[in-house]
Amino acid sequence: MSAVRPVGERSGTASTFPLQLDIDSDTLASCVACGMCLPHCPTYRVTGEESASPRGRIALMRDVAERGEADAAFVEFMDACIQCRGCETACPAGVRYGHMMETTREALASQTSYQPRLRRLAYRALGMPRLLGFGSRLLGLSQRLGLMRLVSLLGRVRPFRQLGAMTASLPRVPVRQAPLTASGDDVWLFTGCVMDAWMRDTHRAVQSVIEATGAGVALPPAGAACCGSLHLHAGLASDTRRLARKVMAALPGEAPILIDSAGCGATMKEYGHLLGTEEARQFAGRVQDVHEWLAARVDELPEGAPTSAPLQIAVQDPCHLRHVQQAHLPVRRVLSRFFDVVELDDDGLCCGAGGAYSQQHPEVAGAVRERKAAAVERTGASVVASANPGCTLHLQAVGLDVRHPLEIVAEHLNGGAPQ
Amino acid sequence: MPSRSAALVGYGRGVTSEDAAADAALLADLRGVLGDRARDNDFERGLYSRDGSIEGSPPAIVCLPDSAAEVAEIVRVCRRHSRPFLARGSGTGLAGGAVPVGRPVVVATSKMDRIVEIDTANRIAWVEPGVLNLDLSRALAPQGFHFAPDPSSQQVCSIGGNIANNSGGPHCLAYGVTTAHIAALEVVLPSGDTTVLGGVEAEPAGLDLRGLFVGSEGTMGIATKAAVRLTSNAPAVRTLLLDFDDVSEGSAAVSAIIAAGLVPSALEMMDQRAIEIVEAFAHAGYPTGAAAVLLVELDGLPGGVEAGVEIVREVAQKHHVGHVRVAADDAERALLWKGRKNAFGAVARIKPDYYLHDTVVPRSKLTEVLEKVYRIADAYGLIAVNVFHAGDGNLHPILAFDRREPGVDERVKAAGRDIVAASIEAGGVLSGEHGIGLEKRDYMGMLFSTHDMYTQDVVRETFDPDGLANPLKIIPTGSRCSDSFHQHVPEGAWV
Amino acid sequence: MSSQPSGAGASPAAAASTGPAAAGASLAANIAAEVTAFAGEVGSSGAVTVVGARTHRDVGGVPLAGTREVCAPAGVWEHEPSEMTVRCGAGTTVAELAAHLARTGQMVPLDPVDDAATVGGVLACGFSGHRRLRYGHVRDLVLQTRHVDAAGKVVTAGGPTVKNVSGYDLARLLVGSLGTLGLLAEVILRTLPVPPAAQWLEGDGDPFAAFDLLYRPSSILWNGSHVWILLEGDPADVAAEASKLETAGFAPCDGPPPIPAAGRESMRPSDLRALAGTAGGWLAEVGIGLVHRPEPVQAAPVSPANALLMDQLKQRLDPDNRLNPGRRPW
Ligand SMILES: Cc1cc2nc3c(=O)[nH]c(=O)nc-3n(C[C@H](O)[C@H](O)[C@H](O)COP(=O)(O)OP(=O)(O)OC[C@H]3O[C@@H](n4cnc5c(N)ncnc54)[C@H](O)[C@@H]3O)c2cc1C
Ligand code: SF4
Ligand code: SF4
Repeated sequence: MSAVRPVGERSGTASTFPLQLDIDSDTLASCVACGMCLPHCPTYRVTGEESASPRGRIALMRDVAERGEADAAFVEFMDACIQCRGCETACPAGVRYGHMMETTREALASQTSYQPRLRRLAYRALGMPRLLGFGSRLLGLSQRLGLMRLVSLLGRVRPFRQLGAMTASLPRVPVRQAPLTASGDDVWLFTGCVMDAWMRDTHRAVQSVIEATGAGVALPPAGAACCGSLHLHAGLASDTRRLARKVMAALPGEAPILIDSAGCGATMKEYGHLLGTEEARQFAGRVQDVHEWLAARVDELPEGAPTSAPLQIAVQDPCHLRHVQQAHLPVRRVLSRFFDVVELDDDGLCCGAGGAYSQQHPEVAGAVRERKAAAVERTGASVVASANPGCTLHLQAVGLDVRHPLEIVAEHLNGGAPQ
Repeated sequence: MPSRSAALVGYGRGVTSEDAAADAALLADLRGVLGDRARDNDFERGLYSRDGSIEGSPPAIVCLPDSAAEVAEIVRVCRRHSRPFLARGSGTGLAGGAVPVGRPVVVATSKMDRIVEIDTANRIAWVEPGVLNLDLSRALAPQGFHFAPDPSSQQVCSIGGNIANNSGGPHCLAYGVTTAHIAALEVVLPSGDTTVLGGVEAEPAGLDLRGLFVGSEGTMGIATKAAVRLTSNAPAVRTLLLDFDDVSEGSAAVSAIIAAGLVPSALEMMDQRAIEIVEAFAHAGYPTGAAAVLLVELDGLPGGVEAGVEIVREVAQKHHVGHVRVAADDAERALLWKGRKNAFGAVARIKPDYYLHDTVVPRSKLTEVLEKVYRIADAYGLIAVNVFHAGDGNLHPILAFDRREPGVDERVKAAGRDIVAASIEAGGVLSGEHGIGLEKRDYMGMLFSTHDMYTQDVVRETFDPDGLANPLKIIPTGSRCSDSFHQHVPEGAWV
Repeated sequence: MSSQPSGAGASPAAAASTGPAAAGASLAANIAAEVTAFAGEVGSSGAVTVVGARTHRDVGGVPLAGTREVCAPAGVWEHEPSEMTVRCGAGTTVAELAAHLARTGQMVPLDPVDDAATVGGVLACGFSGHRRLRYGHVRDLVLQTRHVDAAGKVVTAGGPTVKNVSGYDLARLLVGSLGTLGLLAEVILRTLPVPPAAQWLEGDGDPFAAFDLLYRPSSILWNGSHVWILLEGDPADVAAEASKLETAGFAPCDGPPPIPAAGRESMRPSDLRALAGTAGGWLAEVGIGLVHRPEPVQAAPVSPANALLMDQLKQRLDPDNRLNPGRRPW
């Protein structure tokens, strides 16, 4: 194990500050400390430290909840969690870790300076498609013109710092993208914020596969830009609620809402819990990962071009698909119709991307990614399917050929021609 | 029993300024060895204050070494400061073996998790102590081998912990417990010297110090590397699930299967409550209405396995089995085992805390002792859940409770003691695989004479004359002066 | 469920009275009485050694002249076929134990070269038999020991059940200690079902390749050019494995030649390869790394750190060096 540390140097005595953690005592007591979650926790895996484990984090939350105070070390321990929720599916006791961590982050964000004002601004930018689009085009242009200095300068402009850092791992940000065109009203395809700005071609591929089943696709108006997922993980739940209301208003009716980004899907399925309204619960009931919807219609897809030997594809499950939505099997159902699907041997351990995590904790995220890359290598497959843009970018940065599962399917249905 | 965070808050109690100065000097020396991998902040000390048992008290300092050389340095620093030290693997021990007593230095091996060498020519692998049990078997799979001891906690427990506790697991019925699978051990002795016990050769010369170290729960030093034996993966495996409407029919079937001359690779039993909670987690199709199920696995060459399946069927029928379900494929087998192996944690679905013993009784006494377990739990107003290694009579009566209920801890402990007494009365022993640690040391006198324990302590002392290695474990305090066996750890020494 | 105690008519345990409860209680009392009597014989002073069948009397040195000889209790005292355990006096011969167990289709694979050896003798030497490849080391067959220590007191270690981790594993320490730390009085061993089929095969093939070819063979013996392999288990499996060997040029046979007993040379299993083609009347256990030689073999030295621990153990457990003086396992 590397000497990776979850957080920086700390000394024994740190000054404390009051913190009210609003997690009820039954929830806090529900962890029996059996440790079964430890090997499924990416940060424990690469550090070997109890403080970077789910069991440790829960014990710390319990301690802070009872004491009513915390210190800087506590904040760092909590911040080092990727929120992949691998611990949750592994936990035999049914501990709802994800909610505990969201509550903790919310408490930190609202009662302390955990999310500095400028970081909050960056998150807000995600909900502003124009600003995001402008920034992205500028980035893409600078990449093309080799103006890396401009890129790094832009990264220094505070609202873009988060995004600027992300571009370091981005292969190529498109300068101009042809808009998507709606083809009917059987289903909504949710297009999101970062993904629409940077990876519209993925949406295009997804749309074409949906249409190949004979369904018509409706597209949301510009108002439904961001699902609020990153905000929720950062403890800015009120921002998420605000965005959720916008999204709900933009996608009316009864039609299923299909999501091709696991992180967005996980958050949108939680709108009911988040807003606590009947309307939100109904809306959440319409949300499906696009693979869930397709898996039920996989026989309606055409054969596609004949191939000599089926392509071997390793499936990397985004945590928000596998651990949160538990919708990882449909991906296999769709892919195995056309390809030879091979499994990684790491029980769906996180890849380290974690939304903005990989920018905030590059060392841990990098070490976690190394484990994933090694698991991919053990499969011998040359193509990796991953249904989440964050994971895709994070893994592409170490030279893996990672694509959205439906991009691979679309290409196949198109006779192998690039989109 | 401490409130879970009392461990943190209470640390200040009874700690004098002299203690604090001693801790500071010790920390400075340990930092010299480990840099920032020696920790003394309250939070982290709290996290290393307990294992899978219900006891807890924080250590003075937590060390996270990365190599055997660092472990040896830590031990030497501790010697210089006359400070006890205590190895810790994944902290899943169920007897308090890894619970700090006497403000020790915790030496966590979790960063030492390299598989150093897989040597198929000698059918061994050299591994560091922090390697997780299941990771090892997975790494061996491509070569057709595995590490046979498979505690239910195998996905998380460390090889070092397995060695220290001489751990077992469902498949130890046929393959034997950890000690049969350890060829050699590199050990940092309490003197600070490093040596290798045992060997890869057929008959290492001299006394079997390796065999003595295995199961000594960290009281004879710290294992820094182990040569573990590789077991061939069986060509054929069959897993059967049998359900019964009567616990006693189930346990009678256990004896009958063994008496029929069969040694299944695993023979596990679960009672009704266990079945329900396990099914709620695993969704493996366990029959939630049944009073008991047996999970039977046979492995080996196909002829013997199929013959065994028939014997199990016949025996089960004689004992009025409800259904005999044979797992159709690896996926179904894995799901059944996933349920079984997560049973302890799943108890939290009933109550947030559990306490269990792991006595072993003769198989023919299973029915009788199980009945007593239920009666004892009832008498103390507790819920008993039974999920255990029936094939070798190794009970795991789990008492589910909520430590926030006032007075519950006394009831739990009293019930535990009664269960141990009932097991020993039936011709059983104190622990089948979890070890004695802190929780069961005061029961040693139920099984061993004063002189037996004295002799054991003399042997321990040979390795650790100064009592620095995980002190106050296994042997009850006062074993060297025969009159004071039931003495407990003094109040305030730990929470 | 105990089968009848057998063996030494002189054994008080054998005279256990009728009626299950009474039998249980008086059996225990009788066994205890025998062990106590043995402890009395050992006493608390003067050099003492246990004599068994004298089949391994010179292992690790011969006891000094003038050492008092005592005999450990003998007799199979309790056998619970459904528990797969057997309790016997350490002085019981392996032949007697085997005969007793065979009646219920069970065995303890001690497999000494000469089955006139006593159970206690085999364990004190710590010599596993030629089927160790399948059944493991003899020390893993031991569940509980009762020994008499240097002070003449009885010490119990381990426990009567098939699985047990209560306390320090003194029973394992005693196995192979040549009676220098304590004298075995009574043991409880794990029994196994006798395999329904067994077949030896022989041939000139590569024993290492044969080992890789087979699933858990019971024994592979090799003299540098010729190989003898024992298969045990279900008849269909033995036949199938045998046919694999036959394809590789092996043929059924009655068994290996007598195993030389004068010396045991211990090495890593892979190091055996270097012996290929060397002569000398030896027979090696492939997969184990043990070479049985017709001449005595110098014991390998132990490391200074381990020697120190062993010396101190001996010093603490037998300060007057009265248990088997002249013998030393290291
Ligand atoms: C859900 C659950 C199921 C379990 N199932 C089983 C089961 O089926 N069978 C079974 O036998 N046990 C079982 N256990 C108990 C436990 O998992 C085992 O005892 C395991 O071997 C402990 O390993 P660990 O790494 O967690 O050790 P720890 O708990 O960290 O330590 C255990 C002991 O080992 C010592 N130790 C650790 N590392 C070293 C080292 N390198 N050198 C010297 N001493 C060391 C410690 O000092 C301590 O005394 C279970 C526990 C849980 C929580
Ligand atoms: S979160 Fe669940 S799996 Fe992890 S230690 Fe707690 S109870 Fe066990
Ligand atoms: S959410 Fe992921 S990173 Fe956080 S504790 Fe759970 S497993 Fe670890």
